[in-house]
Amino acid sequence: MPRPERGAPRPPRRRGMGRRKVCRFCADKGMLIDHKDGRMLGSFLTERGRIIPARVTGTCARHQRHLTNAIKQARTLALVPFQTVYPQ
Amino acid sequence: MPNRRYETLILIHPEQGEAGTKELVVRIKQLAENQGAVISQLQDWGARELAYPVARQRRAYHVLLEFRATPQALLEIERNLKLMEPVLRYLSVRRAENAPPAAVRPTAGGEAPRGVEATDEVSAGDDGEVGLMNHEEGV
Repeated sequence: MPRPERGAPRPPRRRGMGRRKVCRFCADKGMLIDHKDGRMLGSFLTERGRIIPARVTGTCARHQRHLTNAIKQARTLALVPFQTVYPQ
Repeated sequence: MPNRRYETLILIHPEQGEAGTKELVVRIKQLAENQGAVISQLQDWGARELAYPVARQRRAYHVLLEFRATPQALLEIERNLKLMEPVLRYLSVRRAENAPPAAVRPTAGGEAPRGVEATDEVSAGDDGEVGLMNHEEGV
């Protein structure tokens, strides 16, 4: 099977359709990552309370890092759930 | 000794009631000031729904304290918070020197927070009501 030339730039491959996702925090400088803002953090959690991966939300690595930290801080303050299905 | 900017969010047991909470907040304030902390802001978020039960409580009073203090003072403040029975949780965070003062948070899933009333609905034609903000005067 013929291999592509060494060092040749790989053609950009984008599986699936749809537009490129942009990091919401980069796009909107006014949007701050704050561990006290449960509502904002909640938009980066699944129904069950898990953190949505950056590959889904499009958040850049740097902001995703800050975001996970903030979510974990918010969890200890009960502003955001660890999980939403609790034994009762 | 370095003087740093900190911010502490404190959750208080709801059984304290309004008066008990006020009293406790005053105690915490004094505690901080005795440690040489300079309080720049005190936000009362009121009783809010918790994301999960803490100490079998579904809600808690939230108080946000913004201040400058030495790291040693913070340690002492936190040690004392830990000893206070009605304090369910707290979290202190160091803030950047150039960070803006903590914005007044709207409450999600709680009743309207006391101390934030002056922002949205009331703003129309109600200019004289700025005193509703619970922030510390003159500090």
